[in-house]
Amino acid sequence: MKNRNVTLLMLVLGIVVGTLRCAVTYAQNAPEASEKGKEVYDQSCAHCHGTEGRGDGSAAENLLPRPRDFTRGLYKIRSTESGQLPTDQDLFDIITIGMPGSSMPGWETSLSADDRWEVVAYIKTFYDGFKAGEAPREISLDGKIPYAEQSVETGKGLYVELGCVECHGNIGRGDGTSAPTLTDEWGFQTWPANLAQSWNFRGGADTEAIFKRFIGGIAGSPMPAFEGDSFLHFGLTVEESKRLTELENKDEMTETEEAESEKFYEKMDAAVNLALNRTEGIELTAAEQQTYDDAMQVVYEKSWHLANYVKSLAPEQRPEPAIGKNVLRSQYVQDALPGMEDPVWETLQARHFPLVGQIVIEPRQFNPTIDSVDVKSFYNDTEVAFLFTWDDRTHTIGDETDETTGKPLEDALAIQFPVKVPQGPTAPKPYFLWGGRLPVYLWHWKASTPEQVTELTAKGINAAEVQEAQGALQAQGVYTDGQYKLWVKRALKTDDKKDLQLDPGVFVPIAFSAWDGANGDVDAKRVVSSWYTFVLEPVPSSRRFVYPPLIAILSLGLLFGLRAAVQRRNSVS
Amino acid sequence: MKKLSLFTICLIVLVGSWVVLRFAIGGIVSVPIPGSVIAMYMGLIIIAILVHISVEDSLFREFLRPIRETLVEDRRQVRRRVIAVLIPLFLLGYTYSIIAQRANPPGSPRDAHPSPPLELTYKDEVIGTMQDVVNPFRHYEKDDPEAFKAHVENGRRVYYQNCFYCHGDHLDGQGHFAPHLQPLPANFQDPGIIPNFQEAFFFWRIAKGGPGLPAAGTPWDSAMPIWENHLTKDEIWDVILFLSEYTGYQFRTFGEAH
Repeated sequence: MKNRNVTLLMLVLGIVVGTLRCAVTYAQNAPEASEKGKEVYDQSCAHCHGTEGRGDGSAAENLLPRPRDFTRGLYKIRSTESGQLPTDQDLFDIITIGMPGSSMPGWETSLSADDRWEVVAYIKTFYDGFKAGEAPREISLDGKIPYAEQSVETGKGLYVELGCVECHGNIGRGDGTSAPTLTDEWGFQTWPANLAQSWNFRGGADTEAIFKRFIGGIAGSPMPAFEGDSFLHFGLTVEESKRLTELENKDEMTETEEAESEKFYEKMDAAVNLALNRTEGIELTAAEQQTYDDAMQVVYEKSWHLANYVKSLAPEQRPEPAIGKNVLRSQYVQDALPGMEDPVWETLQARHFPLVGQIVIEPRQFNPTIDSVDVKSFYNDTEVAFLFTWDDRTHTIGDETDETTGKPLEDALAIQFPVKVPQGPTAPKPYFLWGGRLPVYLWHWKASTPEQVTELTAKGINAAEVQEAQGALQAQGVYTDGQYKLWVKRALKTDDKKDLQLDPGVFVPIAFSAWDGANGDVDAKRVVSSWYTFVLEPVPSSRRFVYPPLIAILSLGLLFGLRAAVQRRNSVS
Repeated sequence: MKKLSLFTICLIVLVGSWVVLRFAIGGIVSVPIPGSVIAMYMGLIIIAILVHISVEDSLFREFLRPIRETLVEDRRQVRRRVIAVLIPLFLLGYTYSIIAQRANPPGSPRDAHPSPPLELTYKDEVIGTMQDVVNPFRHYEKDDPEAFKAHVENGRRVYYQNCFYCHGDHLDGQGHFAPHLQPLPANFQDPGIIPNFQEAFFFWRIAKGGPGLPAAGTPWDSAMPIWENHLTKDEIWDVILFLSEYTGYQFRTFGEAH
């Protein structure tokens, strides 16, 4: 017990001393770069961010999002208000944790805390704005509205009202109409976040992090800060905003109504001007500050609701990939297999297959836009059905062509099996990229012909042949709200020797390729998976209802027998 | 306090040993002990207990006494009934869990570092025998530090333009494409990697990539590209210099003891 107290004391002391030390050494904001900071930067950061901090290191070209250009003072992930620089802690945290969904890793394990603070000081020297040394205004989290169904519901309404749909799409999969047109401050293409994939949120996925992205904006990206003219009805209270929407929706306004709405517009203009002045550093009078604060109060409140709604769109974590015990198991049903819209699919948990850019064979895809494909399957005595779903921000059906190959750019999915299932764990499999010496059997679906799946045989990523015998497969594909859903059905056994033949209980290698036409995917340029495993899950043996009770009864009999034997012996002696 | 019966002591020893093996040694003190090893130890302990109780007749009788009492004596009726329910119930559940267990896919045995061929080649050009080939720029380390530095810098460029997507910023095999590859990319920060191989071995693995592996290395699974299709011979040697410079590990040289 004593020991534990000592340990606890040491721990607390350690934390206190550590915090004090950080506070003393690093609290000052003026950039004082040391030799050490430059050394660490050149060794660990420069190959992406460039020796001059322009985001133009040797690796930059094949990265999207691009490494940050530090010379503009634009930082995406901040705890500070719109137009403000990040705090030192913000910079330190990003270096420590990294940015999910990008190539920026966390440096906690490879750089000491001291080194990371030195780097913070060094990267600040790339932008003169830091020299003023003023403390940036931090976003207040005081009025936090806890996560609750009611708040999520309010946020859902705001999501539409505030125009989030334009970029992030109807239900947040990043498939809004303007999604393919967006570029960042440097002119590089940028995609709106898919809000259903919270594991790719650069600044973390808790509601506070999401809230900060709203209030502070994501500097350098098209995501606006919720302030001034980028926030609908800025300066109006919730009631005023509601009234104005009501007035605006009228076919014709009376004169008094005209005047009323005019008043609202004036109020909004005034508030927007205050926000602009504030960003430019013009001092506000006490009255103006009050007006601005009132306007922001409404924004803060709405932002918390919206943050709760966004939080509700994605699972807490990325689903576990389909390896080990999570392999794709097709469930047996006695009757006809369910069609695409059958609610029985809801009873199955999807298996998750992450996809990565194909960078082995030219042309390569370094900046993939498709994250993963989720799969479910049922089978009966004669057929097997699959349901594939994957998110794609754009519905591309080959209207545009690839400049180098002249081939149409379109969305597609291919499901890959070996032609013959390897016998035993050491038996060779075909090469995971569409086979090689050993061939693979493929189902190739394209968005332009959603009712059709072509069967291919391939001996290499550029050596695929359409099979002569087609028609073994039934397919149905739809695209809604940023997600493809593909249903495929095939007989377990076919007459074609080039087809895979399926038997329950046999573990079959399975792999995927997917193409996003809008991202320039064509031929080998695509996203792929390694080999995974799929099995028609055998119907559990009915022996499981026979042997266990039998053994239980036997053991009981044994106990009674033993008792009888002992009793007899006692009576004899 | 009542003296514990011999049977109870034996039971405590048995259960206690299992708890110590399973949780205390395998978990707190060291890594978990494999089930088969635990089973072996438990077998030994059971034999030891059996030997102990069968040394003398009186001891054996003492051991059996509580069992006999539980089976027949009236004052043990409650205990008897509880046991008559628990043992069959346990066996019922245990047998069911074994029979209803779902089969999992067989693991694929893979040799992560299979034997290289005797001859080192770049495309079709023979460079030399695997044993004798050395990094042609390694000697600059002593002879011309400036030139050596230039080669390392070029290696750094090659690494960050080609390798870091999978092998990572930290050279730890955790690049942004890495988490979803099977097998995982090599971790050069692992002290068991660089010091165990000659530079020529690395040249072979880089130049020929996944498809160049012998069957023991499951060439069909590896996402390592065939880099001789993308990089020059010198670039491969330079990136090898960079790997050891960055990590601080020295490659094995020929003749060095294991």
